[in-house]
Amino acid sequence: MNTLLAILWKDLVSEWRSRDRVVAMALFSFLVVVVLHFALPGADPAEVRRVAPGLLWVAYVFAALLGLNRAFALELENDALSALAMAPADRGFVFLGKAAANFVLLAVVQFATAVVFGLAFALDLVPVAVPLAGVVALGSLGICSVGTLFSAVAVRTRYREVMLPLLILPLLVPVLLGAVSATASLLQGERVPFASIQLLVVTDAVFLIVSFLGFEYVLDE
Amino acid sequence: MSASLSNSAVDRAANALRLPTGILLAVLTGAWLAAVARAPLDSVQGVIQKILYVHPPLAFAAYAGFALTAIGGALFLWRGDEAWDRLARASAEVGVLFCTLVIVTGPIWAKGTWGRWWSWDLRLTITLLLWFVYLAYLLLRSFTEGSERAARFAAVYGIAGLAVIPLNYFALDMAAGRSMHPENLQQGSLGAGMGWPFALGAGVCLVAFTQLLVRRIEIEALRGALAERVAGAPGGLERS
Amino acid sequence: MSSGATALRGAPVVSAAGLAKRFGPITALAGVDFDVGAGAVVAVLGPNGAGKTTLLRILAGLARPSAGDVRYAGGADRRSARRFVGYIGHATFLYPQLTARENLHFTARLYGVEDADARIATLLAELGLEAVADRVAASFSRGLAQRLAIARALVHDPQLVLLEEPFTGLDPVSADRLAARIDALRGAARAVVLVTHDLARAAALADRAIVLVGGSVAFDSEGAPRSAGELEHAYRSALDAA
Repeated sequence: MNTLLAILWKDLVSEWRSRDRVVAMALFSFLVVVVLHFALPGADPAEVRRVAPGLLWVAYVFAALLGLNRAFALELENDALSALAMAPADRGFVFLGKAAANFVLLAVVQFATAVVFGLAFALDLVPVAVPLAGVVALGSLGICSVGTLFSAVAVRTRYREVMLPLLILPLLVPVLLGAVSATASLLQGERVPFASIQLLVVTDAVFLIVSFLGFEYVLDE
Repeated sequence: MSASLSNSAVDRAANALRLPTGILLAVLTGAWLAAVARAPLDSVQGVIQKILYVHPPLAFAAYAGFALTAIGGALFLWRGDEAWDRLARASAEVGVLFCTLVIVTGPIWAKGTWGRWWSWDLRLTITLLLWFVYLAYLLLRSFTEGSERAARFAAVYGIAGLAVIPLNYFALDMAAGRSMHPENLQQGSLGAGMGWPFALGAGVCLVAFTQLLVRRIEIEALRGALAERVAGAPGGLERS
Repeated sequence: MSSGATALRGAPVVSAAGLAKRFGPITALAGVDFDVGAGAVVAVLGPNGAGKTTLLRILAGLARPSAGDVRYAGGADRRSARRFVGYIGHATFLYPQLTARENLHFTARLYGVEDADARIATLLAELGLEAVADRVAASFSRGLAQRLAIARALVHDPQLVLLEEPFTGLDPVSADRLAARIDALRGAARAVVLVTHDLARAAALADRAIVLVGGSVAFDSEGAPRSAGELEHAYRSALDAA
């Protein structure tokens, strides 16, 4: 537990001092939103409202991939990863610390992106802000869990930046489907279907368990 | 030090299965081709329908293959015995082949029946996702430096990939409305004369899969043994 | 110049028997017996690819052996033993954005060090890092970084200290300081495993020298090497015999 907090603190402080990851993620995210806007020339508001949830999550996934790719760069620089591997704590907690830090950074970027998205697509997200935050949190939990696990993997392969999306995008399908469906309901002003939440919760649970246990083997030499 | 295959269960099983599955494969394929040729043409779908004798069994093999990959990987992580990794890797390589065939035969049949090359129906989509996972698995193995590390990374990924299959099923089921996919064909619902070709087709696929798997495992084992021999050759250090 | 150091050898802090590491066609270690006791420095020498780093990594709990057994004092298993192993390698294991003090605090937390502030203060003083304690590690010169890396490795007062080619690239003054530090560790009844190419240093510091070639032990001095010359001779013979 101490390990988890120590790593969370370390990552957030490092990020605060350099701010490079968050800025890059946010900027990239905004650009994606702009590009998506151009991808829908002259669409009428009803149509936009229909596709908006999907587009929002596309932007979120791209931002997440960018951030996750950098997650272990910090550890690789002076081989701090080996130092973490030698720490006596259960490696699952090292994973949780890293995943928590990724989650926090992603959340910050997601918030900013939501604001920009609302502006770009003339959507008023304020009335659904709280439930939306909940849905986004559930989705990010799924993304950050397998994302962190396989980021530690991808960072030790050739073509590391390309490897991560290749690995996790097929795995993220359930997360995306659940999140997009829930977001869509919220934007339509409806209640979020139980099935989506259930899907998200189950997926998150499975991913967290697999990642927590798998990290032990991923940190070995 | 023996340069032959290690004594693990995997290698012994592979050794035992090689000949029987080879013979069985030859026999079954012959019988199957004969049965397919003689099976009546479906009144609506025509010749294309005969793909059905092959498509579901291929899919079954593709999924079984991935299950073996994941289980082999898990056992490798747990036991540390290389042979389990050989099984995992061989299963992935053979499985991806079968998976590709599923994705190829599916649209061919769909075009013949519904006039569309691709549909996002549940079973085809989930198999497509499996195909991506297979490919990512193989790429991961190629791109990781260090064969043991590659084996370990791949094992973890294999487990994640297996865990996501049921999740994908529920997710796609929730997302889609109806499925365009024909219901599971049962013996009874196949037209007369279609039972045998189907059963034989299933047999051929499974046996072919096993035969290829066994061969692939052996190649890997022999490769390892050969390199060990070479390393211990004059110039290397012989410990008495 | 190690004096009758075999007499100092306490109970083995770690002992390994029949250690092997192989995967597919590659054999990194082919059956190595190894042990090091408290208050002893064991030097491990050998050409590149001989398995020295692999051995160290197994002892550190970073890698799993394919065969053989590693036993730690007090019956600790691989995972709990990590608590009393310290590793000083090529890489510094430092976080560039954190200050020296923060780096040390982070490691202290990972290892559950009690009274971390006091321990860190002591280490900073011993290694002459007080002046730069609150500067970020990214700004350190190689020498300073090396010293901080040593402090980091010793924060939790490990019983077993593993050093992987620590003298490489060090200027003579820093190298002497490091050698003195290794001596001090021996004096404090720590077990030290020193992997190095520097035969002179090895001869001067070690209570025992082992030469690994092709994954096996080709030479074992069993006692302290009498001189650098003798060690070099043994080393070359071991290589030739292989």
